[in-house]
Amino acid sequence: MGDEIFEILEPGFGATLQDGGRVGWRRFGVPPSGAMDEHAAQWANRLLDNEPDDPVVEILLQGSKFKTLLETWVAVTGADAGANVPTWRAVRMNEGDVLQFPKNHSGVWIYLAVPGGFEGQRLLGSASVYVRGQLGHTFVRGDVLCRASSARFELSRGVAGRAVDWHERRNYESPPPLRVWRGPQWDFFSGTDREHFLAQEWTVSSQSDRVGYRLTGKPLKAPAAEMISEPVLPGSVQIPTNGQPIVTMCDGPTVGGYPKLGLVDAADLSWLAQCRPGLKVRFVE
Amino acid sequence: MNWIPYGPHALLFRFADHVGEAALARQRGIVAELERHPPAGLAEYVPAFTTILLEFDLKIVPEPKQVAGELLKRFETAAQAKLPASPAKEIPVHYDGEDLETLARAKHMTVEEVCELHCGPVYNVYMLGFSPGFPYLGDLNPRLHTPRLASPRPKVRAGSVAIGGEHTGIYTVDSPGGWNIIGYTLLKIFDPSRGGPKGLDEAMFLLKPGDRVKFVQV
Repeated sequence: MGDEIFEILEPGFGATLQDGGRVGWRRFGVPPSGAMDEHAAQWANRLLDNEPDDPVVEILLQGSKFKTLLETWVAVTGADAGANVPTWRAVRMNEGDVLQFPKNHSGVWIYLAVPGGFEGQRLLGSASVYVRGQLGHTFVRGDVLCRASSARFELSRGVAGRAVDWHERRNYESPPPLRVWRGPQWDFFSGTDREHFLAQEWTVSSQSDRVGYRLTGKPLKAPAAEMISEPVLPGSVQIPTNGQPIVTMCDGPTVGGYPKLGLVDAADLSWLAQCRPGLKVRFVE
Repeated sequence: MNWIPYGPHALLFRFADHVGEAALARQRGIVAELERHPPAGLAEYVPAFTTILLEFDLKIVPEPKQVAGELLKRFETAAQAKLPASPAKEIPVHYDGEDLETLARAKHMTVEEVCELHCGPVYNVYMLGFSPGFPYLGDLNPRLHTPRLASPRPKVRAGSVAIGGEHTGIYTVDSPGGWNIIGYTLLKIFDPSRGGPKGLDEAMFLLKPGDRVKFVQV
């Protein structure tokens, strides 16, 4: 057991442990999971000289409170939820300090890292929690988080602080057009529908989670032909019969029978993940 | 057989046009080939009814499309392999699911007839998906083909044996679900506590594609 670092005073909207995700288990029906916003999670780790895919706490929206049990460095990145510590930089916490995220202002997912990463049970090669698959669980009040090793992190002598460059910090309220590849069923859609898909702005629905992000807009015409279920990659833009796209996210099913019009580029999926309900997104080929 | 790209790092091969035992035999041949001689840079593969997805590590294979032609040739040969049938695993079922009577009535059958038709055949595991280890089983007697529920239940408990369209399956975790529940098994099809040290994690999953299943009424 590593050192006890935090106690969960309030889980808020939800917090889980996530790392780079599981590889190699999709043929058994197990999705990759892992951090929804790889960009922010990896920056939290880099700030503390961790491996980019070390386990971090992924926190949804707002409301969570963590009591510091042992003096430690931390890094908080991702969504802005009015944290009571400076974000996107390495920060020192003292024993007894309470880290809190009272109110969401932008983005969806917050990341919290400690030196050496958090300790978590590795199942199928990963510490990422996949709630529906019973691989790990969502944190509850009273849970104690440990760090994986007693890794020492110190700033170099004479350096006052360490922060992520401004140009690497993202404005989650204005995502760029999301790059998409043609999906396996691109040819099943009419030219008009493919144009509509790329031309219009889509609104992120509140029915969005780690499984999938639903988008609403002027509906597309789903192809009539019934499809035999086939493998689905995270980032796939599926068009169900109501014509409103669902983008598969990292806890999404590994197979499915909806036609897949496109595939959001892996690098841009983290942008979509941070889009709050109501935000508008565009796709570009 | 043909293939299409699925994003920059994955290839989707279509090895059959129809779901069935002939397609499964081809799938098993291809999977055996991938296990025996994994292509360089293969990160993972996902077999399904008539397709198989191959995902590559772009650091090792920057342009998976360039290896697709050669793989297609290998798969054409491998798909014709005649592999011995797997022994059938027996799964005890209590036929007392909440949709059993409704289903029987809709089919103008007695509950007993439905059970007999359901536990008669030896089923093939065509693929896993939907949730960890969830087996899509066939071939189901056409008289039992039943559309999914108009609106899915928010929670179906693990162990529920159900019929969805042309397939039957077993829920492996408590989850939402739209299949018609006809019975329950106490056998754990997926159990994270069965996973062990490295190399034994597959023990979490009772079934894998190509396995065969026989339901036994208890």
